[in-house]
Amino acid sequence: MEKVCADWPAKAFDEQLVSGKYWDEFAENTKAAATELIHAGTWQEAEQLLQGLVKDMEAKEILAVGGEENPRLGMMYQHLQSNGRTVYTDKFDIAEHAPQADLGISTAEFGVGESGSVCVDTASYESRVTGMLPPTHIVFLQADHMVKNIDTAFRVIAKVYKKGYMGFITGPSRTADIERVLSLGVHGPGRFIVIAVDEPAQRRA
Amino acid sequence: MAVKEKRNIRKEIHNKLDDNVMQGALAKFTSEYPMARLKAYANVDSIDDLRDDLRTMKRWAVDHIDALADEFQHSVEERGGKVFRAADGDEVKKILLQICEENGVQRIVKSKSMATEEIKLNGALENAGLHVRETDLGEWMLSVAGQKPSHMVMPAIHLNKEQCAGFFEQELHEEVPSDISYMIHTARRVLREEFLHADLGITGANFGIAENGAIGLVTNEGNARLVTTTPKIHVVLIGYEKLIPKVKDAAKILRLLPRNGTCQRMTSYMTMVSGPTPIIYKKDGKWVEENRKQYVILLDNGRLAAAKDPKMKQVYQCVRCASCLNVCPIWRMVGGHVYGHIYSGGIGAILTGLLGNMEAFSKFSDLCIGCRQCTTICPGEIPIPDLIDELRARYVKKYGLSMPEKTAFQHILTHRKVFHSLLRIGSVAQKPVQSGKFIRHLPLFFSGMTDGRSLPAIAAKPLRDRTEDLCKHNPKNPVMTAAFFSGCNMDFVFPDTGESVVKVLQDLNIAVTYPQEQTCCGKPVLGMGDRDTGKVIAKQNIEALEATGADVIISACPTCAETLERTYKELFKDDVQWRARAEAVAGKVREFTSFVAEQYKAQGRTLPQAERGSRITYHDSCHMRRGLGVWQQPRELIKMTGADFVEMKDSDRCCGMAGAFGVKYSEISKPILHDKLENIGNTKADTVAVACPACMMQIGGGLNQQNPSVRVKHVADILAECIAER
Repeated sequence: MEKVCADWPAKAFDEQLVSGKYWDEFAENTKAAATELIHAGTWQEAEQLLQGLVKDMEAKEILAVGGEENPRLGMMYQHLQSNGRTVYTDKFDIAEHAPQADLGISTAEFGVGESGSVCVDTASYESRVTGMLPPTHIVFLQADHMVKNIDTAFRVIAKVYKKGYMGFITGPSRTADIERVLSLGVHGPGRFIVIAVDEPAQRRA
Repeated sequence: MAVKEKRNIRKEIHNKLDDNVMQGALAKFTSEYPMARLKAYANVDSIDDLRDDLRTMKRWAVDHIDALADEFQHSVEERGGKVFRAADGDEVKKILLQICEENGVQRIVKSKSMATEEIKLNGALENAGLHVRETDLGEWMLSVAGQKPSHMVMPAIHLNKEQCAGFFEQELHEEVPSDISYMIHTARRVLREEFLHADLGITGANFGIAENGAIGLVTNEGNARLVTTTPKIHVVLIGYEKLIPKVKDAAKILRLLPRNGTCQRMTSYMTMVSGPTPIIYKKDGKWVEENRKQYVILLDNGRLAAAKDPKMKQVYQCVRCASCLNVCPIWRMVGGHVYGHIYSGGIGAILTGLLGNMEAFSKFSDLCIGCRQCTTICPGEIPIPDLIDELRARYVKKYGLSMPEKTAFQHILTHRKVFHSLLRIGSVAQKPVQSGKFIRHLPLFFSGMTDGRSLPAIAAKPLRDRTEDLCKHNPKNPVMTAAFFSGCNMDFVFPDTGESVVKVLQDLNIAVTYPQEQTCCGKPVLGMGDRDTGKVIAKQNIEALEATGADVIISACPTCAETLERTYKELFKDDVQWRARAEAVAGKVREFTSFVAEQYKAQGRTLPQAERGSRITYHDSCHMRRGLGVWQQPRELIKMTGADFVEMKDSDRCCGMAGAFGVKYSEISKPILHDKLENIGNTKADTVAVACPACMMQIGGGLNQQNPSVRVKHVADILAECIAER
């Protein structure tokens, strides 16, 4: 999958800037932005939580990216395939089924304490439609990959951002264009769920 | 591209004042906005540090705009994008139509771009037979309704849900209930089809990064993310003012823009696109992946000339958050459409002028009353009222004033004796409509001016005729001498207050002189943009004040004080001799309350607690609080009198007088006054103190008709009463 940076922790993260100590502020601000934040200790626990969510929302068609980089995620996506449920992980399949899919699952590189945003590297087309077209978007994130504020986020981004498509997501798609009444899910997902995992991801070399 | 517009601004204003839907929406929004904004900033150490950082970065950018544009273009092209530079809207349209033709484009989706509104792009595309859809919900509804956005961030704030449902029905030819959730989901369904079938997406940009050619887009709906994802071609229309040097500089915009614009710590989506990015689509029955085509059009349309202009280049510090509107007392009354249909509010007036439509600018530029509320929150720290003044002065220099103004300013104001004689005649002529110190009702077509507000009567004996007697009470061995610059208002309308000023100064062992040759400070003419007349008046006053040889020059009118202290120096910036004289005078000018508070402290003075038992609130004059930065001292003085001091809500919000504005636009001035009177009433104070004669005129006139149990007093009057108690 095309990315702005193939390995953010190795190429962009600086221990001075990226730290789990900004977690509490992130948790507070991301919830204030109407993100559903779920905290899991291990990948195993994360998988159980994901299974529960998918079951509850009765998702039939699922788009899923990021499984190639993170084997645990790849396994999870396989396990989600079961009777009557299809998980698309191939980019052409994703492109074809994106307009009808019920759920998109992807990954974020790090969180921002000050704003509750997650930084998403969406240089690939499939990662963009996964996060934008289905009514629900679930994002996996490592809980200690946090920066203090937007300023430090850009210091991290500046190290690797030479070309491509990326940015922040901070809660679900929203509008207040009619009488300033807040409404979710206008063009993008109406539900935005972040599953933050403490256990480090085992990355494919 | 100068467009001559035939508009009747007065009529438009009346329509907006009668639009109850808009009035309700704007009143609610503007009252909630300040607190919501501060809440968004609650986890930031210093908002002003962020503003300073942004301004410094943007100033650097404008000073290097040509090099930045070259670097940006190189970065985009190096990555495979194509860059055009367009001198104006016509060129943009030519380039776009060419792109559409070359690529067989039929359907276009757009994500909010004010620049495309500026050049009226949609109409041109539609005339060429292209299917164009706005995708921001508000913009889409407005395009269906044939309206323009009334706010840069909340385009449809002037509408209610019933009106919106009407536009939905008009577009979809089906019944649409005025249920917001239903409408949102209908818009999602309808516009989803547009995204999926569009050949080309057009976006604006919140910033463009020279270092890597990325553009940044800030949205809540996510439409910009879809417009830059689903179509095979992406066209960016970006003004030169959006260029910034480095990737990390984007943070300087993003820490302020969402907080000021929508009171969010970050919008739902912040998207950056650098170079053409991949797209997957079905080609001849097979799924393929290739890079989308990216075209970037850099738009000039007056921007590059502004960048080279030492004063006007400050507009490059604007990040289009529109927060200057959100705190503007006039925008709150008239809404955004009156400003010229593209960029509204104070910054809108400036942009409209700079982007080639000085005619439109001249029509509504006087809707800025110079209250400077916007300057306290603008993320880029742009002195918006000063830039409006500058543009107005340039307009007047080029096209001149209208005839009645010309007569009034150039033939009356510059001749002190003629001007003052007219005021004296006025004091006699007003007799039939006078009631005590007020004119309560004016006959016939003047009646609007006194509707809900009395106008003060011109005093029978002006201050200048009383000072000879007053100065006889000067101390024998004074600690210093003061020249009293009264201003017209205190001279001819409130001479009693002028007497109070003299008494307070004499009580401080200061000898007061009143230079008879002083005339109007010139602010009314300068405010209209007539700097040549302003200079004639300034010279008269400088000479009159120099002749006194006094140690200090005291003004108890903040507008006069600001004009003498700041404006005269700027007025003569290119005249070495007069600038030196203006600076010497400015160095001696002191605003009354801050001067007295300082002297009381220095002399260890206390006051007899003469006001014990009375309840006093204080109204900040705009020029005093934000022009001179004086607001604590008058409060301290009031507390010294033993009065029960009570703060009113929005004490620093304009009372609606604002010089000639209060009379010229009395229909806007009165509702602003009404809010002020309500806040005063809620304090249950028996007295409202002011330190500005113009505010005293406006608030006093309103209280006279609407709440006569409350008195308005200048701080000088309150102090003078205490001294009399001794």
